[in-house]
Amino acid sequence: MAAVLANPIARRLLRIPPSYFVFLVLLATLWLARPNMLNLNIMGIFIRQIVPLGILVLGQLVVMRVKSIDLSGGGVILLINYFISSGSFPGASLPFFVVLALATGLAIGLFNGFMIGNRRVSAVIVTLAVSIILVGLVQYLSSGNPPGDVPKLFNDLYNTKFLSVPTPVLFWILLTAAVWLLLAQTVFGRYVASVGENAEAAHFSGVPVQRTVILAHTLAGLIAAIAALVQTGSIAVGSVRVGLDLPILAVAATILGGVVFGRGDGGVWGPFFGALCFALLFVVMTVLGIDEPGKLIAQGVIILGAAIFYGVRVRTP
Amino acid sequence: MTNLIEMSHISKAFGGSRALHAVSLDLKAGTVHALMGENGAGKSTLMKILAGVHRPDSGEIFMNGEKLDLKSPRDALDAGISTVFQEHSLLPNLSIAENMFLGREPMTRLGSIDYRAMNRQSAKALGELGLTLEPTQLVSNLTIAERQFVEIAHCIQADASVLILDEPTAALNAADVDVLNRNIRRLRDKGKAIVYISHRMEEIFELCDTVTVLKDGALVGTRMVSEITTDELIAMMVGRELQDLFPVRMGEKGDEILRVENLKITETSRPLSLTLHRGEIVALAGLEGQGQQRFLRSLIGRYHPFAGTISINGKTLKMPLPTSAGVRRLQQLRVGFVPEDRKEEGLFLSLPVAHNIAIGLHSRRSELALARSYRSVIARMMDAMNIKAAGPSAPVGSLSGGNQQKVLLGRYLAADLDLLLVEEPTRGVDIGAKSEIYHLLRDFTRKGGAVLVLSRETIELIGLCDHIYVVHDGTIVADMPAAQATEHKILDAALMGGSMRQH
Amino acid sequence: MYRSLFTILSARNTRQGLWGLPLLVALLISLWLTVQTTEFATAENLFNLVAQAMPLIIAAIGQLVVVLIGGLDLSVGSVISFTTAVLALGQPAIVLIPSVFLLAALIGLINGLAITRFNVHPIIATLSTQYIVLGITRILRPVSGGTVPEAVIGAVSGSLLGIPYPLFWGIVVILVAWKLLYGSRYGLHLFAIGGGIASGTESAARNFGVSDRRNIILAYVICSCFAAVAGVFLAGRIVSGDPNVGLLFELDTVTAVALGGTQLSGGIGSLHGTVIGALVMALLANGMNLANVSPFVQTAIKGGILLAVVGLQSRKKMGL
Repeated sequence: MAAVLANPIARRLLRIPPSYFVFLVLLATLWLARPNMLNLNIMGIFIRQIVPLGILVLGQLVVMRVKSIDLSGGGVILLINYFISSGSFPGASLPFFVVLALATGLAIGLFNGFMIGNRRVSAVIVTLAVSIILVGLVQYLSSGNPPGDVPKLFNDLYNTKFLSVPTPVLFWILLTAAVWLLLAQTVFGRYVASVGENAEAAHFSGVPVQRTVILAHTLAGLIAAIAALVQTGSIAVGSVRVGLDLPILAVAATILGGVVFGRGDGGVWGPFFGALCFALLFVVMTVLGIDEPGKLIAQGVIILGAAIFYGVRVRTP
Repeated sequence: MTNLIEMSHISKAFGGSRALHAVSLDLKAGTVHALMGENGAGKSTLMKILAGVHRPDSGEIFMNGEKLDLKSPRDALDAGISTVFQEHSLLPNLSIAENMFLGREPMTRLGSIDYRAMNRQSAKALGELGLTLEPTQLVSNLTIAERQFVEIAHCIQADASVLILDEPTAALNAADVDVLNRNIRRLRDKGKAIVYISHRMEEIFELCDTVTVLKDGALVGTRMVSEITTDELIAMMVGRELQDLFPVRMGEKGDEILRVENLKITETSRPLSLTLHRGEIVALAGLEGQGQQRFLRSLIGRYHPFAGTISINGKTLKMPLPTSAGVRRLQQLRVGFVPEDRKEEGLFLSLPVAHNIAIGLHSRRSELALARSYRSVIARMMDAMNIKAAGPSAPVGSLSGGNQQKVLLGRYLAADLDLLLVEEPTRGVDIGAKSEIYHLLRDFTRKGGAVLVLSRETIELIGLCDHIYVVHDGTIVADMPAAQATEHKILDAALMGGSMRQH
Repeated sequence: MYRSLFTILSARNTRQGLWGLPLLVALLISLWLTVQTTEFATAENLFNLVAQAMPLIIAAIGQLVVVLIGGLDLSVGSVISFTTAVLALGQPAIVLIPSVFLLAALIGLINGLAITRFNVHPIIATLSTQYIVLGITRILRPVSGGTVPEAVIGAVSGSLLGIPYPLFWGIVVILVAWKLLYGSRYGLHLFAIGGGIASGTESAARNFGVSDRRNIILAYVICSCFAAVAGVFLAGRIVSGDPNVGLLFELDTVTAVALGGTQLSGGIGSLHGTVIGALVMALLANGMNLANVSPFVQTAIKGGILLAVVGLQSRKKMGL
């Protein structure tokens, strides 16, 4: 093992995010199993389905770059979905819901960030607890007042296409590019890289470490809100189970995309392909007749596998 | 008399830097053997090898003529070699007795830990040291001196034949030192071989039989204490031809840039005052852990001083500085802090050289601003500092120690600052890079900057600086122009503490 | 008297953590419930309370073992569900009971090896196994059903010499845990390793010749096995296998442990604190049930308690 890792070519290969390889393998599998499915229309629909996940991944990768994690996305999505579908705001317009959603995401993200950055509470515990509280609340509220339909405009927007590419997919790509811009081209991106690599050194270089962590979580909250809007558009009706497994999938896709705690080798496109991997994975599994439990196992194996992949690499510098 | 322990031609390197080179040391039963040398001379490394913490790159260790292979601290303990390290190694959440027996707890017939036997034997070992501590007390509730005694009691309890005491008196007051010395003599009379590392001259002459001096990782010599004088011993420890490495001093100084008045760095320490002018390099000298580092880090808010004022460029700082934003606050006042531990506190090892240099510039701008590339600044720094790297995008971790240190310094030199607070400017750096770093710091002051530097290497401070303050016990006990300073003078002041003040 | 009460409440000179406070809370809740409702202080309700609390107490003790070394096990809930699913496979108890514990130990081993050998963060490692085990559980038993061997059901209903079986088994488990934590070398070594990790010197225990790696792996194995005991217990109570019965147990156990005064950074904590913490949770649930609080609101309140108790513990470093 050590001998393999010492090889320069092997080490170069280890730098490439696993998501690219996995994506190619899945594509090849699909091509062998169902070549007729590989056309733009069908793939567009599959990829459109994972856009909420893909967006959530963007938030996850930002917080994971600062050695944190956000598992509250499920609660945020559920709450925003409830706001829109419950009819609590009769006659509200689309901009109103967008602002409401963003404000909700911002507030929750800010709270997470404060608890983690300022109070130094375990990120997993904070964000999981927040998620549980939100889920419990929404389930309670909706048991008295079951969620109804989502305003039609949401679903209509979701179903539009631009140059035969579904609009949500384009939106996802644009958002990914925006996050790339933020991380690669702004001072904030430099702060994130510094804090993730060595928080102590960042502090002595004059980087505002706490503020960077808080901002990263706030951003993740905002992005979760955007994911919630897209998710709501996709399902057209309210639900009390929507989006609950997304945060953990987002962690898996991010790690698969070469972004692990404090290290950002995969940039934003590695995790982007990580999310795409899940789109293909779900298709392949459906084709092969593997259902829900198999997906859970696959998620677990992917997270563990990718984490071991990085753990081994870190130990052999 | 035969040797109990023979360490023969021990060499050890960490990364690229040589810590020990072919050092030999013999220990006899029933003697106290002093190990001396400046900070960083290799004493601790040598003792950690004997304690099984580090493995030597080459060389052998014999005990009673038989070769020892120490793979772990456990092996050393089993062989009867016990150590009281400088950094405390007791577990705070365990009781005194639990710490003393950890890893070899006595068991009852029922398979439980025999706490009764453990506490009884611990009490006995503590009693032998004249201590009346409850063995059931948690270590976290003990004072530093008490912890030190517990560690020694631990060695007694383990019935070791070799005892290593690494600066055991650094944290003790005079009364405690007396108790300790009495016990060391008693252990010596019981036939133990004791290694005693200390900077306090009087202790060496009072307590020890033999003294070995190390310097720069090499053996200077071993003498009988009865056949050597204080002056001869100090002469063995100092004296090197390094003068050519240093840049010429400036001569004149500019406006005052830093003024510290009556700063009390801890509740009990005496107040400390100093001033620093543009064009000056000023040093804080002194023995390990006398408060120099705490003082420097008090300036950036890491510690909160108890009283006193700090003014920078005539502007008095509002105290206390916030711990999390102190560095940024000083950065706005054009002050930079260069931390000692470049791997843990300084550099982003897996990020490019360019990032490591530019972060000091980035961190003065707002988050949403577009990050400038600073390509020309980085190129200029890398060129001016003669940084040897595959290019600006090479990860800094791939560079040699000296080049890493230059990158770290480059971050602060590039950031257009007026005052640098530098801890250990040349730690773990080879001679060539040292000289380059000295010239870089001098160039910085020549352009109107000022440097406050802290170093364990006295010779470096004499050669590099304009003025030297000697720190002892949290306050300044002597100050002298560097041109008139000698290692002897500084060591004298650092060892004797307050006595210099009266002269 | 006042003095000693203060010493207990402030937890000085012990590594037991702040367990006096939750005990006080537990007593206050009990008192309040006794006064407010007629149902609380009945033998039937109290028996139910203990029977309800027991799986949480048992699983929380397992969680305590890994928390003491500064770790965390998020696979506890899955292991519990998995255990009930395996027990409902329709094989005789003599086959199922040993298999359940072997499988649990295997899961713990995977967690421990991933953490110590492959440098994976405990939370990530146990999160992965949580999903893997949950997936396998859903394959074995997609929805609740099947029958658990009579022996298992019999062992948790009924009573022995007037002591209800759940209480009896609970006492047995607590005694075993007591022996493990306070009556063995291993227990002391757990505290030693955790104390070193919490004070930032991870090698401290190693310098004393205590093997940290092996002990850490064993801690995760023990934690999984305690979860399996809780699973067997629950299976006997619900008489069938249920893939969702362990849902959120990983967080409830962490809440119970933290509520009992144990520091999540390691080295400080106690068995009795954990038992008290779990009892407080059970009392709250019991009280909320008696007061007809919606189960969803109860979940939210539990989340709030977790946030509060963990939020009050200060850590040196930020992170997971």
